[in-house]
Amino acid sequence: MGMGGGGGSTEASPNINVTPLIDVLLVLLIIFMIISPQRPHRFEAKIPEKPPENMKDVPPDPLSLLVTVPKNGELYKLNTEDLNGVGALSDRLFQALNGRPADRKAVFIKAPRTVPYGDVVKVIDAVKQAGGQPIGLQIEDLEQ
Amino acid sequence: MGMGGGGSSGGLTSEINVTPMVDIMLVLLIIFMVVTPLLQSGVAVTLPKGKNPDEDPNIVKDTAVVVAIPSDGVYYVGRDIMQGKDRLVQTIQTRMTALKPSDPHVVYIKSGTNVNYGEVVNVIDAIREAGIDQIGLVADKKKAGE
Repeated sequence: MGMGGGGGSTEASPNINVTPLIDVLLVLLIIFMIISPQRPHRFEAKIPEKPPENMKDVPPDPLSLLVTVPKNGELYKLNTEDLNGVGALSDRLFQALNGRPADRKAVFIKAPRTVPYGDVVKVIDAVKQAGGQPIGLQIEDLEQ
Repeated sequence: MGMGGGGSSGGLTSEINVTPMVDIMLVLLIIFMVVTPLLQSGVAVTLPKGKNPDEDPNIVKDTAVVVAIPSDGVYYVGRDIMQGKDRLVQTIQTRMTALKPSDPHVVYIKSGTNVNYGEVVNVIDAIREAGIDQIGLVADKKKAGE
């Protein structure tokens, strides 16, 4: 592998080339620096309890925040307000959450079943950025 | 590693030795072949990306209960495939009772970006049936500039 046949001299004085050694070591180091730091991340969310059958007509708390994710072609909603896009939703939510005490910052998210999961994660991301804590995923009465 | 210095004659003809390059490439290749299967802790899922998910080292622990939804209709708990909703609920319950009090009482959902939200809702419903109300939605953190 690149070694010339050892010269037939009487003395044996091997000269180790350090350069390729360092090259290989640096490459290994870089590989491990890139591969190892992969810490897993996640969004925390809570699941509201299933309401008992006879309480389905109770009107929701007017101070609670409910984000409705649209199907194709519709708009995002915050409670009853229409908003155009995730950015507007995030801004409006930030306004609504800003003055509240820390235990009143819960936001609920409602999305139809046919929406791709990635879109819902974007909404969760935006809600988290606007300061929603904790985030609740409402899974009752979803549209198809 | 026994490269003698390249012939340094008066003219500047540098001959690149391919041999060390091939050596390094082979080393890289072997490293990736060995390391990659060891890194995959569970089913392969195309995770969604977010700007600010929180770190949670608990997800990769052996005791963590992770429900994976790689595509519509397919559910895994850890590495085991779940054939029906009842099996899913049962398995979650069993794994959660096996947790020590020091482990967080949470179920992680590792769903693919393109999976229908309805599938995730089914899993959340199963988790609720198993008596848990706290979930973690696993996502990748978007690096600056993505």
